[in-house]
Amino acid sequence: MYISINWIKDFVDLDGIDVENLIYKFTMSTAEVEGITKHGQDVSGVITARIESVEEVENSKKLHKLMVNNGKELLQVVCGAPNVREGAVVAFAQVGSKVQGQNIGVATLAGIESNGMCLSEKELGVSDDHSGIIILDDDTPLGVDIKTIIPVDDIIYEVDNKSLTNRPDLWGHYGIAREIATIVNRPLKPLEVEELNQYRELEKLAIDVAVENEENPLCLRYSAMRVENVTKKQASWKVKTRLYYCGMRSINLLADMTNYIMMELGQPMHAFDERVVDSVGVRTLPEATKFTTLDGQDRDLDKGTLMIWHKDTPVAIAGVMGGLQSEIEDDTTKLFLESANFDAVQIRKTAAKLDLRTDAAAHYEKTLDPELCELAIARFIKLLRDEDKDITITSAFSDVYVKKYPHITIHIDKPFIDRAIGKVLSMEEVTRTLTNLKYDIKVDGDNITIEVPTFRATKDVSQKADIIEEIARIHGYDNIVPESNLWKISPVQKDPVRELEYSAKELLASKYGASEIHSYVWYNTELNQELGIKTRDNLKITNGIVRLDNTLRHEMAPTMLYAIHKNLKYMSEAKVFEVGRTFDYHFDGGLAEEYKVLGIGLSSLKQTEKELMYEAKSMVDSIVSIDRNMTVEYKHMEDVENNWMHPVNSYEVLVNGISLGYISVVHPKIVDSINPKAAIVVAEIRIDTLGEIAKHEIEYKEISKYQTVTFDLSLIVDKDVMYGDIEKAIKEAKMQYLMGYELVDIYESAEKLLGKKAVTIRFTIGSYTDTLTKEQIDKEREEVLNSLKSHQMNIAE
Amino acid sequence: MEENIEKLGQKFKEKINSIKSMADAESVRVEALGKKGEVIEILKNLKNVEESKRKEVGDKANKLRVEIEELIEKKKEELKELEYEAKIKNAEKIDLTVPVDDKVGSLHPITIVSRELEDIFTGMGFTVEDGNEVETEYNNFEAVNVPKYHPARDMQDTFWLENGEVLKTQTSAAQNKIMKKYGAPLKAIFPGRCFRNEALDASHENTFFQMEGMMIDKNVSISNLIYFMKTLLSEVFKKEVEVRLRPGFFPFVEPGFELDIKCPYCGGVGCKVCKYGSWIELCPCGMIHPKVLEMGGIDPEEYSGFAFGLGLSRLAMMKYNINDLRALNSCDLRVLKQMKIK
Repeated sequence: MYISINWIKDFVDLDGIDVENLIYKFTMSTAEVEGITKHGQDVSGVITARIESVEEVENSKKLHKLMVNNGKELLQVVCGAPNVREGAVVAFAQVGSKVQGQNIGVATLAGIESNGMCLSEKELGVSDDHSGIIILDDDTPLGVDIKTIIPVDDIIYEVDNKSLTNRPDLWGHYGIAREIATIVNRPLKPLEVEELNQYRELEKLAIDVAVENEENPLCLRYSAMRVENVTKKQASWKVKTRLYYCGMRSINLLADMTNYIMMELGQPMHAFDERVVDSVGVRTLPEATKFTTLDGQDRDLDKGTLMIWHKDTPVAIAGVMGGLQSEIEDDTTKLFLESANFDAVQIRKTAAKLDLRTDAAAHYEKTLDPELCELAIARFIKLLRDEDKDITITSAFSDVYVKKYPHITIHIDKPFIDRAIGKVLSMEEVTRTLTNLKYDIKVDGDNITIEVPTFRATKDVSQKADIIEEIARIHGYDNIVPESNLWKISPVQKDPVRELEYSAKELLASKYGASEIHSYVWYNTELNQELGIKTRDNLKITNGIVRLDNTLRHEMAPTMLYAIHKNLKYMSEAKVFEVGRTFDYHFDGGLAEEYKVLGIGLSSLKQTEKELMYEAKSMVDSIVSIDRNMTVEYKHMEDVENNWMHPVNSYEVLVNGISLGYISVVHPKIVDSINPKAAIVVAEIRIDTLGEIAKHEIEYKEISKYQTVTFDLSLIVDKDVMYGDIEKAIKEAKMQYLMGYELVDIYESAEKLLGKKAVTIRFTIGSYTDTLTKEQIDKEREEVLNSLKSHQMNIAE
Repeated sequence: MEENIEKLGQKFKEKINSIKSMADAESVRVEALGKKGEVIEILKNLKNVEESKRKEVGDKANKLRVEIEELIEKKKEELKELEYEAKIKNAEKIDLTVPVDDKVGSLHPITIVSRELEDIFTGMGFTVEDGNEVETEYNNFEAVNVPKYHPARDMQDTFWLENGEVLKTQTSAAQNKIMKKYGAPLKAIFPGRCFRNEALDASHENTFFQMEGMMIDKNVSISNLIYFMKTLLSEVFKKEVEVRLRPGFFPFVEPGFELDIKCPYCGGVGCKVCKYGSWIELCPCGMIHPKVLEMGGIDPEEYSGFAFGLGLSRLAMMKYNINDLRALNSCDLRVLKQMKIK
């Protein structure tokens, strides 16, 4: 919202106050200021002058040669505006003046010397109208500075609308002036208004408000008055310039005046042509209807939309926009003036539904004070009379007041204020601030009883915390001395999942050289198609900007593949990981389940799939063993769920029998679409599940004092026998003294071992109580061999 | 006999002199001093030497044995020396200016910054909590005092999900759950990913990180908040920072503030980071709204507290001088590999 300092000065004396410093204080005490514009600094030396004669210029359709009287002399000027006429008083930029920051000199146009120029409103900077030159009233004195007639000079500052969301009272200049008066501690001038009481004997206008819900009426108040004999068409320079500087276009006198009141008091108003609307009803639409708004657009209105009616015809969408039918016309002299208050939620819904965020709607949705309705009419008539002194009022103030907000009283005590702020302020300061902000207060010792003014009581101020804010912000947060509080310190519990997450990340980066990535939690539909990735249907975003990418991820692997796809273009290997969330939705309207999953993606143009699988396994082993002392089981998957997984080389990862995810070579089809030369492996591990698995405490085992014995066995097994199967056979063996075993070598040779492979394992046996005898050693060897034999695993001869 | 010994001495000294390798040395040692070595044989056969000369012969033979031992050892040492010299002479000169694969990966800048902050906060007695990314409308809005159709909902463009839930627009969405979980007094931070339905550009992302903090206790004042934020931010920027509070509207706090810091990079003189404004708007904060406390099951008459939100993505950008927010979610290793793990 734009604030005009000239406008503020109507209500607060700012003499001797540095405006920029004031705006800084406003930022620090009230709301964020986004920018300051100083109007009129690029204009100087422009004066009033009269066109005494107009002559056509030969060979030019547009140009005229004028003789212009600046009050002292006649000057020859060439002008291209269509609206030049003899006797018109104009804004004249003489030689040596400055316009739009440019110095005006003698110019030659069509071979004719021109000693200055007549300005359009746009050139003067007071509107964007460039259709012709400014024509002032005929009786305007000549040779005076234009700035004494058109208020070109002003300072406008823009307040961040978001920071005013909760302050309906600040959506007009008078409310802002109240803040400024408090900040500078000067009196706020009362509003000059028309005395409405004088018309109480006149006819009352017919207003029929249908109240469908007494608790929560859609129309809280509807006030109206009839004004006649409006003959002026244009608002004054003051009104037009202020509106323009504050971001509104001037339309005609009546529209401008309703906008002016909205920008001054925050109360939207509507002027109906009385020939069309002489009484109103306020009620909702009984069925969906087409309606033409005054911007000429046909709109589809839903059943239940709150409308203003004239008899059986809807004439305006309440609080949003009027209808084209009842718009003020050029020949309108009689108006039905509306000043109403509507339910904020209803207005917000309607405006959002129609995508019609008008200024009126933006005001109403802040929850305006219904008391404003009457004040706005009284002010409107006063200001309209200033513009057009011949207007007459032909109705009484007509008012249907459906719902008043409850009056709010807050009790607070001085020690509470001091505690909440953390600084002891004087009672004088507290009462002064509240009084300046128009709270009614009564002080009894330390106790303060506060009556909240109606314009703050619609939702903004209701409790002690709100009063604390008022006092503290006006005092200035900068003036509060930071102070510590001796809070109790208690030991911090660390979240095991979070700790595991960090350890895993550090391990993957430091030990395996992988890089952590961050991505998006939804699938990239286009890339899925390009890479041939098929994902499961899942929970969707209903209003995403990119329409296609609306399915939340159910798996991490596609994210890893996106990253690999992107990076293998630049590098010969990309090893990435992310701890992210995946989601599961059952399409039953219930809540989504959310998991924390580590995704790993390994890709290389130099390494084999086997090497990458072993690397992934090593990663998972290391992560599981972080502070956990557990072993991982890798179970070959017979069926793979996802199309990026390799039908042969996919393994489920289990700890304590609990499934944590999988490691898989990526399906050749998908590898082919990324880079046919690459080896790619993906893994997904449920880090949340792993973090919750109880740790095995590490138990210290003494080293045997007796000699241990090692022996190697070389087994010849079928090629597809897995090491895990051999281990199972070893564990089944009835060995008494087995202390450990390790894989020495796996040897595969197409020539020597047809369809077979040799696996060499080293066993360590020993006892804690004795040195083993030869018989014992042989017995151990025999046991393991028997067990292996029963699984068709024989030792090499 | 004694002559024999002398001759033997002579013979072995010559042999020792001509030793060329460790293997030679060993065979000479075995020949002289092995179990059946010639010198040893003499000592073994002392009993056959006549009584009167036995001692003398024994002494001489022993002396010889010691002498040979020493000579061989000495020879061995010489050989070792030669060997080392040869090794050094023949050593390949290793070129350390050749690049090697350091095999050090990288952590995401958000992880690094978040971890740093978490360390600071845990040092100040804060618990670190994890929130969800998909949240109920209640937790994301109602529970932080943004009822349905409240204009404050405009402040955040929301991704709505088909089941009525939302992708959380703010870490504040976890406030209610955390208050219910711990009650008062409470000190917790909760970093997390947030989402806004916005078009992407250099300073707008639909996916970014925040870190929210709450502190609830008896008699917590605005002055405490300022003290706390100043201390915290001085830790974050590793130097004393100047802070200022301005009024700001956030529905879950009352009063609400925008906290600015005097630009820590230029000291307020004006630079690119502060856009020549000398202050940087860093973190919204405020005294927790009594209604929010109440909804979290905490009595606002007894307890008060403050809450603040730090833009982790923003801090990461400041720390690493990243000028395009989109870099963080780009998955581009040419960017991310720069964040090598320490």
